[in-house]
Amino acid sequence: MNLKNMINRLFFGIAAFGFLLTGCASNKQENISRLSLIQERDELICGVSGKIPGFSFIERDGNFKGLDVDICKAFAASIIGDSEKIQFRPLTAAERFLAIKTGDIDLLSRNTTFTLSRDSSGGNGLTFAPVVFHDGQGLMVKKESGIDSIQGLANKSICVGSGTTTEQNINDTFESLSLPYIPIKYQDLNQVVAGYLQGRCQAMTSDRSQLAAARSGFKNAKDHIILDDVLSKEPLAPASDGSEQKLADAMRWTVFALIAAEEQGITQSNIDDKVQLAKNNPQLKSLRRFLGIDGGLGEKIGLRNDFVVKVIKATGNYGEIYDRNLGKNSDVPIPRGLNEIYSKGGLHISPPFN
Amino acid sequence: MNNLNSNLNTNLFKKLKRFLLSKSKYNFLNFICFVISISLTFNFLTWIFKSNWKVVTSNLNLYAFGSFPINEQWRPLFWFFILLSITLITIYGPKWNWLRKNLLFGWIGTVPLGIYLLNGGFGLDTVMTRNWGGLTLTILITSCSILFSLPIGILLALCRRSSIFLIQKLSSFYIDVMRAVPLIAVLFFGQLLIPLFLPVGIEIDRVWRAIIAFTLFVSAYIAEDIRGGLQSIPKNQIEAAKSLGLNKFQINIFILIPQALRVALPAITNQLIGLFQNTSLMSILGLMELLGVSRSILANPEFIGQYIEVYIWLASVYWLFCTTMALVSKKLEQKMTINKGF
Repeated sequence: MNLKNMINRLFFGIAAFGFLLTGCASNKQENISRLSLIQERDELICGVSGKIPGFSFIERDGNFKGLDVDICKAFAASIIGDSEKIQFRPLTAAERFLAIKTGDIDLLSRNTTFTLSRDSSGGNGLTFAPVVFHDGQGLMVKKESGIDSIQGLANKSICVGSGTTTEQNINDTFESLSLPYIPIKYQDLNQVVAGYLQGRCQAMTSDRSQLAAARSGFKNAKDHIILDDVLSKEPLAPASDGSEQKLADAMRWTVFALIAAEEQGITQSNIDDKVQLAKNNPQLKSLRRFLGIDGGLGEKIGLRNDFVVKVIKATGNYGEIYDRNLGKNSDVPIPRGLNEIYSKGGLHISPPFN
Repeated sequence: MNNLNSNLNTNLFKKLKRFLLSKSKYNFLNFICFVISISLTFNFLTWIFKSNWKVVTSNLNLYAFGSFPINEQWRPLFWFFILLSITLITIYGPKWNWLRKNLLFGWIGTVPLGIYLLNGGFGLDTVMTRNWGGLTLTILITSCSILFSLPIGILLALCRRSSIFLIQKLSSFYIDVMRAVPLIAVLFFGQLLIPLFLPVGIEIDRVWRAIIAFTLFVSAYIAEDIRGGLQSIPKNQIEAAKSLGLNKFQINIFILIPQALRVALPAITNQLIGLFQNTSLMSILGLMELLGVSRSILANPEFIGQYIEVYIWLASVYWLFCTTMALVSKKLEQKMTINKGF
């Protein structure tokens, strides 16, 4: 009896201590917003994949490179004022949302598809910034297989990455067409590619951009075709914790600034001239507001007034980021298509900076 | 030499002849296996010579140091050099008495030295842990975890044999729970849940969180190894010590633990080798250790699809290190033994 008492007391003590700790945690969280926490820390912790060609991968000199990485740099430039003050954290698809929820990372820039259940507080409880890359799921097959449409894949095995919307989409599509197929699941895209190349499956599925990226590294790229069928729309967007409104605002307008800069022809190389131009000409009202000379727009969302200048100086506008990582002359060329700005027939548009 | 060679050849030839001409019913089967294994080896060797090893050779820096700043890479390199020299001293070194006594302390000393060299401070530039990576990080996590889990393991083992009921039950409970939980769950807990319990603003670095998680896990296993060592010591030694007037503390420190450690050393080496390989699990949790950095290199558009080369390279690196560790522990075992006949 005595022993039971003792153990009971002990467990009660441990539980109370745990509650105390969590209590501390939740109390303090209300006081400090994530945005000011980042500014105080003077460093942005950015979750990336680290394993997707063209979006985030490690270069020979040990630095991260890619579109997702450049978006992170833009966030760091706008929030902290220095695009180098970033800590990149490579994450797998399965753990990325938990990492945001636990506060281990500040924001996610990791090929994440914007969906209702991820945005909702009943789901993953995230908030998404504007879409930075419009993608769609596709299928890649070997040319010699003679398969030219999704119907030809009946009863064939398909390599797919697990824990992603990709897995769900392929299942939905094949079920709605009542086609049987054999899914072969892998943990990440590179393993899917390896499985496909080793002939474990007749087709592989992923976002079309990733298929193109993977194919560009194949020895005989021309022997593989990407089918015309597009299984889904995959708007890829950066995300942050849904309860951090200020951070979400800052991220939203940083992405819009990248797009608006391309709309107005402001680039990394001419940004200084544009600032001078705006300073000298008081009649250029909208440009002055955009570059933070008038209006104090930046302060309204908890940033510096000239955050747009910092961002463009660090990374260039959206078009420059795209060309650097996915353009014609890059290692992973992907046609811009839907990712053009609206005036050139694409989907990217920025609301006015007023 | 020639003589030896020809001797060896004729021996081999004789053996082969006997092997092929023996009238066992498995003869044919044996022959098939022989041919298959020869052809597999041949294919493998030709593949090794034919394939392009640029993905390995041009990224050696990344494999070794991750994204450690290039100007500072002499620091981990220097640490490697120290480790290599102490390894060589252990395996081939002279059998001086003072060396034998101090070798273990030398090994223990390499860990704080490594942390100092990597982290900086006191005259060196500070390098953030997020820049640690590659083989350096793998070795650091392994050595720190084993160094921390040894004293904890000893303590747990002693507690488990304690006569105080609560202490004994508590340490048994801890050991049994840790042994019943898979390592990956402990690591997930360390990486993702520890920050949830900590108040905002207090952050334990993720490398240290990994080391803490590994330490928690491995110390339970080491405790059991050491308990095995403790149980192998005959009771009359304790009685003899008591009759000499030693107190409990002295008995533990001077009599039980040194002998138990000597007995448990092979088992602890086992844990060490297992730990070294288990650090690769951290790549799933986003640390850029040897496997993690390799997976990121594979995403470089220049090297897409060269998995086999990279994984064979990794396998040989892991093999080399694990074999070295086994050798070193064997030598340590020999050098630590005093008067084997006793």
